[in-house]
Amino acid sequence: MNPNYRLPNSQDSYGFGFLDEFAKREIRRVILKAISIPGYQTPYASREMPMGRGFGTGGLQLTLSMIGPDDTLKVIDQGSDDSVNAVNLRKFAELTCPEVSTTESTTEASLIQTRHRVPEIPLRENQVLNFQVPYPDPLVIVEPSEAKRKIMHGEGDYARLLTKLYEDLVKFDEITISHRYPTRINGHYVIDPSPIPRYDVPRLNQSKALLLFGAGREKKIYAVPPYTNADPLVFDDVPFRTENFYDADGQRRACARCGCTDSFLDELNLEDGSKAWQCSDTDYCNRQLASTEAGEVTQ
Amino acid sequence: MNPILDVKGLTRIHGTECPSCLDMTGPEHDTNVCPACGSVVAAANVSFSLQPGEILGIMGESGSGKSTVVKTLYFDQAPTRGRATFRDDDQSHELFNLNGAEQRWLRNHRFGMVYQNPNLGLNFNISAGGNIAERLLMNDLNHYGDIRRRASELLTRTDVMVSRMDESPKQFSGGMQQRVQIAKALATRPPLLYLDEVTTGLDLSVQAKILDLILEIQHELQTAMIVVTHDLGVIRLLASRTLVMKYGRVIESGLTDQILEDPQHAYTQQLVASTL
Repeated sequence: MNPNYRLPNSQDSYGFGFLDEFAKREIRRVILKAISIPGYQTPYASREMPMGRGFGTGGLQLTLSMIGPDDTLKVIDQGSDDSVNAVNLRKFAELTCPEVSTTESTTEASLIQTRHRVPEIPLRENQVLNFQVPYPDPLVIVEPSEAKRKIMHGEGDYARLLTKLYEDLVKFDEITISHRYPTRINGHYVIDPSPIPRYDVPRLNQSKALLLFGAGREKKIYAVPPYTNADPLVFDDVPFRTENFYDADGQRRACARCGCTDSFLDELNLEDGSKAWQCSDTDYCNRQLASTEAGEVTQ
Repeated sequence: MNPILDVKGLTRIHGTECPSCLDMTGPEHDTNVCPACGSVVAAANVSFSLQPGEILGIMGESGSGKSTVVKTLYFDQAPTRGRATFRDDDQSHELFNLNGAEQRWLRNHRFGMVYQNPNLGLNFNISAGGNIAERLLMNDLNHYGDIRRRASELLTRTDVMVSRMDESPKQFSGGMQQRVQIAKALATRPPLLYLDEVTTGLDLSVQAKILDLILEIQHELQTAMIVVTHDLGVIRLLASRTLVMKYGRVIESGLTDQILEDPQHAYTQQLVASTL
């Protein structure tokens, strides 16, 4: 214990960022460890939060332990700033972190908490992305014992995970993992990159921003530090494929709202029974829309 | 020629060991449970050596400790004491001094095991080819096409129809499951193979085919094998040298023909007389 450490002055109220200072210190220490061992699932004492486990408490604890009054926070849920989970977590941060400003703009944010997407706009070195993780261990589908999984991680023994991919190829001629694609970090540990679509997996590789993963229920924190290799698990002769959004004619679908053809699209069922595709990242969509409108005005 | 495997004083005692465990158990006391402390002496002071390409038989009744010997050598169990030296190319490994990771490496890369019960050796939730693929993947073969090719080669070699490669071994007959197990064990071309009661529970014609296969493999790949069985016919056919075990002790060892034609120990005499 640091002898110079003092408790917050007003002990009858919550400190800045809801968590007590001991909790923040522990989580920060665990974050440092996670960064030092890229991809290693560092255990930590996940605190009770005033919301159910499974609602993003892991990501929220990361955010609250590192946020300061100078930070600008963005919270997204499946790419959207306005869905329930994102709105509630953002409100909670506004309530418990006075002076912190929140934003919906990817470029303005210094800290981004995300559920299941990586923003379309490339992140910068001075940004941090906190993922909310439901299941941190990719080996859980092949080995039920956590003690054995730890040994397998330690030895880099992922043969059984690859056997799962082999079985997929045998049965379906295609690896059928659509999200949570096992990804090898820095040539050793394989992580579950939280349920991001395959489309986002290449964005983990050599990312400029620090990527942190917090699993509140499973009590694990892991990290992909900036400029670190992140390689999806594949066979040498079966390349990794991402969603391509081609329609039946082989045309790349465009966003129904902004018209761009270079973003991850959500499929929407319209009231008349037809389908439409729209950018999953609302900030990116708005930005595209604004720039096309601005272009039309100048013409 | 240096033996590929040298085992000295291998002992495995279950329970709280006391000083009289070894003195008060064994064939002469007609028990392997220590009367003083109740510990079970599964194997005591087992020593033997195995030459490259040789087949060594271990024979004995149920509970004689023959499987214990093989399981400790395959790291399924830890021995209470004893040494085992495995010589691989130019390297020599003290098996019981290795750490867990080194033991698992040897197990995955240099040893093969075929169990009596295919449940132990195969994963029934994945296909037969997948079982072989798993072992190839452990050996850092990471090319899907190569894995498929190698798995079908191995299954062809062990007379499993390649057309059934992508089925679960659950749907196979006992003999076929055993052949898949052998194919899996051979996937890495190990220099040392353990066979634990491989033909027990199979009908005679299937037994004969499996034994033929084992002999062919031994001629082809010069794999050293330890064959554990209580079946004298299997020992006679496969093993050039044999150990006879009772109550955890080796009571007789030597050339198989010699042991079967001129048994010295009373128990071996009884065993041979009752079978032939």
